[in-house]
Amino acid sequence: MDVRVERREAIAVIGVTGSVDGATAPGLAAAFREEIGAGFIRIVGDFAGVDYTSSAGLRALLETVKETRQRGGDLRLAAVQPDVRRVLELAGFTGILKLFGAVDEAVASFS
Amino acid sequence: MRSGITIAARVEELKAARAFIEKACAAAGALDRDAFDLKLAVDEACTNIIQHGYGGRGDGVIELACEIDTNTLRVTLVDRGRAFSPRDLPETDTTSGWAERPIGGLGWHFIRSSVDAIDYRADPVNGNRLTLVKRLAVPQTKEKEIG
Repeated sequence: MDVRVERREAIAVIGVTGSVDGATAPGLAAAFREEIGAGFIRIVGDFAGVDYTSSAGLRALLETVKETRQRGGDLRLAAVQPDVRRVLELAGFTGILKLFGAVDEAVASFS
Repeated sequence: MRSGITIAARVEELKAARAFIEKACAAAGALDRDAFDLKLAVDEACTNIIQHGYGGRGDGVIELACEIDTNTLRVTLVDRGRAFSPRDLPETDTTSGWAERPIGGLGWHFIRSSVDAIDYRADPVNGNRLTLVKRLAVPQTKEKEIG
């Protein structure tokens, strides 16, 4: 799994590529935490390149949703692939997370 | 057809466990969706064994075996960690709002949702044995050939 961070004004766009599992999810959680620590409470997760996630990835997402929303921000996901979306649905996360088709859409939703 | 692999009980090996299942599913002619479900179930089961069974020590192993029978894939996982009772696990909360939603506890929910049958036998001598059975959907093209 690779993580790249791009800051667009007050929004952090975190692009993730690869598989998120028990080995890689801590790295994703750390990337989210780092942005929150730097004051970026509006985060977009670009999941176009994520082909797999287990519950370990969902833990990182839920932690980040709680952290950002408690501070008045949010974590929003963009370009979630069908397999990953199904995992989100299985967990009932589609009722919690705001999903967008593209990164620009997710970024624009904050304004 | 039967195949097997032994992995070290470490999260870094989850990838190898999934690759093993993917290969078995390809050999069985499984649809992508069934293969994904089985990979998820085995990944979650291995993660539980690594984190709870072996307590994250990293010195144990997990033996994975795959058996393909007519449209059925049976995966067994044997470990020598601490046994547990899947029946005692609480139902997973998948409906409450973000503030109330507990973090964690999704692993067994995913296993239950992704396979058709689960059997667990705690055995301190021969190893705890978890069996996951997945009935494979028959691809449309194959049905046409038969029809």
